Amino acid sequence: MEQWESDADADADDAMDAFLEKFQNETYSGGFHEDQWEEEFEKVPLFMRKAPSEIDPNENPDLACLQSIIFDEERSPEEQAKTYKNEGNDYFKEKDYKKAVISYSEGLKKKCTDPDLNAVLYTNRAAAQYYLGNFRSALNDVTAAKKLKPCHLKAIIRGALCHLELKNFAEAVNWCDEGLQIDAREKKLLEMRAKADKLKRTEQRDIRKAKMKEKKEQNHNKALLQAVKARNIKLVSEAASEDEDSDSEDLGELSLDRLSSENRYGARLSVDEQGRLSWPVLFLYPEHTQSDFIAAFHEDSRFIDHLMVMFGETPSWDLEQKYCPNNLEIYFEDDGGTELYRVPLKSTLLHVLQHPRYFVKALIPAFLVCVGASGFCKNYVRGKKVHQVK
Amino acid sequence: MGEARTGAGALARPEAGLEAEVAKLLPFLALGARADLQAEAARHVLELTGSGPGRTLLAGQAALLRALVELAAAPAPAPARDAARALVNLAAEPGLHEPLLQAEPELPARLLGRALDPQWPWAEEAAAVLANLSREPAPCAALMAALEVAEPGESGLGRLVRALCTPGYNARAPLHYLGPMLSNLSQRPAARAFLLDPDRCVVQRLLPLTQFPDSSVRRGGVVGTLRNCCFEHRHHEWLLGPEVDILPFLLLPLAGPEDFSEEEMERLPVDLQYLPPDKQREPDADIRKMLIEAIMLLTATAPGRQQVRKQGAYLILRELHSWEPEPDVRVACEKLIQVLIGDEPEQGMENLLEVQVPEDVEQQLQRLDRQEQEQHTREPSEELAPEPRAGGATPT
Repeated sequence: MEQWESDADADADDAMDAFLEKFQNETYSGGFHEDQWEEEFEKVPLFMRKAPSEIDPNENPDLACLQSIIFDEERSPEEQAKTYKNEGNDYFKEKDYKKAVISYSEGLKKKCTDPDLNAVLYTNRAAAQYYLGNFRSALNDVTAAKKLKPCHLKAIIRGALCHLELKNFAEAVNWCDEGLQIDAREKKLLEMRAKADKLKRTEQRDIRKAKMKEKKEQNHNKALLQAVKARNIKLVSEAASEDEDSDSEDLGELSLDRLSSENRYGARLSVDEQGRLSWPVLFLYPEHTQSDFIAAFHEDSRFIDHLMVMFGETPSWDLEQKYCPNNLEIYFEDDGGTELYRVPLKSTLLHVLQHPRYFVKALIPAFLVCVGASGFCKNYVRGKKVHQVK
Repeated sequence: MGEARTGAGALARPEAGLEAEVAKLLPFLALGARADLQAEAARHVLELTGSGPGRTLLAGQAALLRALVELAAAPAPAPARDAARALVNLAAEPGLHEPLLQAEPELPARLLGRALDPQWPWAEEAAAVLANLSREPAPCAALMAALEVAEPGESGLGRLVRALCTPGYNARAPLHYLGPMLSNLSQRPAARAFLLDPDRCVVQRLLPLTQFPDSSVRRGGVVGTLRNCCFEHRHHEWLLGPEVDILPFLLLPLAGPEDFSEEEMERLPVDLQYLPPDKQREPDADIRKMLIEAIMLLTATAPGRQQVRKQGAYLILRELHSWEPEPDVRVACEKLIQVLIGDEPEQGMENLLEVQVPEDVEQQLQRLDRQEQEQHTREPSEELAPEPRAGGATPT
């Protein structure tokens, strides 16, 4: 109605008209630029699809502003801790476990007085640590969580999972039982307990199996040493003990160890079903500084038999082609290295090993081989006392 | 109770006189009586329970029995231990269960509370009373009812299993008699239902106890419980499967330090592989028999038989058979081996627990069973808890 229109209203109308006129003359400068509107759109906090992981106040002043509000130091520790918890949870959902751990840690640093919240922070951090493979750290965290809240099932479940990963199966079962005290029907705990129990029993089996194998091995080696002793074959340890005389027991121990592992040639002293030994034997050719290794020289076989096989073809290093079985002479040195003993080619290995002056070093009998009539051989034996083995 | 009198001169007096004598003990047994007289009276009663006629005499003294139960649950300096041991002896007589329960219907509940109290020093005696009592169906039902009075959070049976399976549950009492107690309770379907609940972990906790070295009472109770559970053929698949894995625990006490070949070894369940050379078999023949019975029950269905075969039971039983000194255990072993190596039965016979046996065949089988029993002069296999040793005939 006309009488209601006052001066104020008229002024308002005028102001409105003037304001509206501006739009027709001036261009709006606060809007997006036509060619980069999508980028600018992304920068508005409300519309951005993905938040940047680091917020640069220069690039994103609005975001930085919002951040400073929620992380404002003036809020209570509980509120700040809760915010960090949520932040951590978000990182967790994105599988960014490292950042999640950092967030949860920040939340814990606030030392707020709410034990439930802290228990959750510890438990969640434990979960993140778990996925990072830091099982011990995770265990520390759930232990802390349990202290704050003994009935916190999630912490107990996580703890059991950690023990499973660390292969502490008995502990895993204990934690499951603890959890089942709180909720006797918790499915994850029931499953884990059965799994951990089975793994524990399998582990016990593995221990038993290893023990039995070791025992068998030891008995086997003892029997081997017995066989060697019974043949009166003398053994000498590789590492010559300078002053002491190694008594037979020490030698036994050393030899037992050596018997357990294969020597560097991959062969070891063995016994067949008839109780006959086979030795790994080294043939050394000092003329050409070559050697041959015989993996299993049966003690009842003769040197000549092996030579026939080994020198059936001329070895590559035998340039003068003179190493034929019938030309060869076999020697062994005594312990001092000054005397040589010539081995008849038709002897068996056992016969030679039993020679009172023969010492088996490092459980590998070694022999020197050269061509009898050669200059080298004559030179080699000169200056040493030569005995003939019968 | 007109029983024939034998023995000591004290019993030459007329019955009424004796009963009057015994009744005189009552005021001394009351709670609040002078401690030393109370202890003396309790000891006297305990001595009486050491003989059959003595027990019969006491059975007629309802007030005295009630006082005894009170004392058995009373804290120091009450002679709770002697009172409990007296009750153990009384409860050992099947004929006395009714008068006991009539005199004190709260007996099961009172003693149950004590048996499961981690601080109570005479918990073992309380458990022994209940183990003896629960051999009969009526007291067993009463005990079950007492257990069902649910506490917040944990059921009575759950607590019983926990007390049995947790080492050190009671620092002052070993609680072996919870074993036979549970075994008796497991005759009731409700107890089996709890024990075999697939949503819980109950029966699994009992399994390691089949190897419990320090008490054949406990072992026997646990094995008896497991055997009774094996009657539930609907649960066989679950029992034989990975969630429970019952078979290795039944076979382990039957296995000796056998040196199987590597190939045979790999066929056995993990728990039976590479047993050390000092492995002992279960020394108690009755328990061995119950173990075999339990496995036999698991072979009632075709899938069960398959599982038992697959898990290498035959190898263990074969070795057991050549070792077994007890004839009736050996026979049971043979029967089980027959089932394992025999052909699969014909159609309609797949579940031996459900097969309809024609009446004349049933009678013939029963006759044969009787003959067999006479041959071996042993109690039938569906036995309850064996005689307890606590508070036996020689009072101290």
